[in-house]
Amino acid sequence: MTRTPLLWVVWGLITLFGVGAVMAKLYVGGDRTVLLPGQTAGAHHQLEISCETCHTSDAFASQAKVRKDINKTCTTCHKDELKAANDSHPKKKFTNPRMAPYWEKIDGRFCTSCHVEHQPEITGPMMVTLPGDFCVACHSEGEQDIRVDRESHAGLTFDTCASSGCHNYHDNRAIYEDFLVKHADQPWLNASPVIAAAALPTAPQPENAQAIEAYLASVTVKDADPEILHDWASTAHAAADVTCTTCHAPEDQAWTDHPTQEVCADCHKPAAKTMALGKHGMRQHPEIAKPRDAKKTLKSLGWKDAPEALITAMNTYLNDPTPPKQMSTNEALVPLKADAHGLDVTCSSCHLPHKEEPQHTAVSACLSCHDDQHSTNYPDSPHFALWQAEMLGDGVPGSGVTCATCHMPQTEKKGLAVTNHNQNDTLRPNEKMIRAVCLDCHGLGLAIDALADPALIANNFSGQPIAHIESIDWAIRRVEPSGQGANQ
Amino acid sequence: MTSYGTKIKAALLCGAMTLGGTSVAHAEMEYQQVSDLLHLVMSSDRTVYTRMIVNRLANQEGVIKASEHFEDEKALVLPAQMFRFGAEMVAEETDAFSYSLLSLWPINKQNAPTTDLEKEGLQYLVDNPGENFYGEEELGGVNYYTAFYADVAVAEACTSCHNDHKDSPKTDFEGGDVMGGVVIRIPME
Repeated sequence: MTRTPLLWVVWGLITLFGVGAVMAKLYVGGDRTVLLPGQTAGAHHQLEISCETCHTSDAFASQAKVRKDINKTCTTCHKDELKAANDSHPKKKFTNPRMAPYWEKIDGRFCTSCHVEHQPEITGPMMVTLPGDFCVACHSEGEQDIRVDRESHAGLTFDTCASSGCHNYHDNRAIYEDFLVKHADQPWLNASPVIAAAALPTAPQPENAQAIEAYLASVTVKDADPEILHDWASTAHAAADVTCTTCHAPEDQAWTDHPTQEVCADCHKPAAKTMALGKHGMRQHPEIAKPRDAKKTLKSLGWKDAPEALITAMNTYLNDPTPPKQMSTNEALVPLKADAHGLDVTCSSCHLPHKEEPQHTAVSACLSCHDDQHSTNYPDSPHFALWQAEMLGDGVPGSGVTCATCHMPQTEKKGLAVTNHNQNDTLRPNEKMIRAVCLDCHGLGLAIDALADPALIANNFSGQPIAHIESIDWAIRRVEPSGQGANQ
Repeated sequence: MTSYGTKIKAALLCGAMTLGGTSVAHAEMEYQQVSDLLHLVMSSDRTVYTRMIVNRLANQEGVIKASEHFEDEKALVLPAQMFRFGAEMVAEETDAFSYSLLSLWPINKQNAPTTDLEKEGLQYLVDNPGENFYGEEELGGVNYYTAFYADVAVAEACTSCHNDHKDSPKTDFEGGDVMGGVVIRIPME
């Protein structure tokens, strides 16, 4: 064989080997992060390692099927959020065939029409991958021309709809027109500024020192740390007959000094569920794909009776890495303190295991990691002063405002306060915080203006908003003098 | 999705067997028959809700009001919303048919006609009280049999709400007037 044909053969073999290696990575197993077409948006980097969480279609499915399947996976995590938001543009609004002319503009039947993943270059606020004036596609012609329908909107440009504090694509619960009218006359601060749910009783605790002493006298634990025992005796856990072994040796298992958060989740199911919906705990979400199994993968590719030796070899050498169950602070994309890196975020990151300490859970734990301007300015804010007053007994229950008050708001359930452990739930867009938190103490006008003022957010609301959003003024102008309702 | 789709297909098949042929005229009759029956159910349910729930409780007895913001206002769902929610629920289950409530004078602008056939059909209902309108149209690459049925003001609640609403383009509705139309679409392939 002459040199040229030999080189062709070598080139062919190398190519085949390369293609085989890529295919093995794609369809068999192994760490596939090298194959990522681009960084994912928001907090999705936490599940990048588990491609099948979003890419659920068969290997050679049609493009239409792939799009349908991918969009289905969006709602496996975000369904409850959209339902709670009373979504203004739900998929079901666009599925009727009469909406076909709109499908060619922006196809509202698919999340990916506005949120394309792996496109960091074009990903903007709210993970939107369309230009900021996307509303123009449907609201600038015919009956839908908002500039004709609303006199106040005649001179506005479409890049201001969703960026001004006036409208959101999904969640308009606090900024729809009738709501603005209804709450137009509220003062900036209510007469009794109290977070209603925070003023509710929490789980029963030992009533007094005597009850604590009685509890301690009844406990017989060998080699127990007296300080831990004393802390524990004053907790709701102790009042509910939760003992050392409940967590350290559950269900007759061997004693462990460091119980996992699954032990907490066994009892605190609602907290675990909401935790798994936020950035802190999304690695725990039940819909995140498990590592692929070589046998199942080969079967899905049509090889039903692959040799066991091959499967074992694949599972040994090419298996997917197991995604860690907790998010590490090393993976955080927000500013964190230097000594906060390398930590796993678990229940005990914020909750002291043997002691109930609201100051730690609702403030100190947050500030031990977060190092952005908003966080570092909190101790100088009026909200913190109110919290300090409440802790010292100078303020009524619920009058203090902590990090958790706004970012993990509480609601009432059966007379008790229930905490939402999804700390992202009221964040993006931040108008989601208005009804969940702000309106307990403040008027709607102040809340809208404050949340549209980046400088005020950065200094943690020390002062009054400089910006003024005119949405309430415009809404009022439309109903005066008749006082009739306005359309949403 | 399967159950609804199967029922519609079964209805069409039964219609075809009954008529004993597959001619175009027969097929169109089958579509018309199916849509007429669907509309009968929709219209009856909606009329019952409007007269016996909303009009009675909100207008006659005044024990509760009806509001488009029914959750915030702790109020009854408006008849038009009840109809839309039903249509959306059907859409989540099947694409064998779809329906909507439209008007030439909609309070909510998204319920204005968008296709040429919708404009023609809704105008026909207004110009020809008591008659339906049937047609075919292509939307999104699919041919649809589209039927239009007049939506008539059956209770005082209908006219008072539309006449008083600040976003209503028409404020002189009277009982028995055609206020809009129910549009039913069945894909023909």
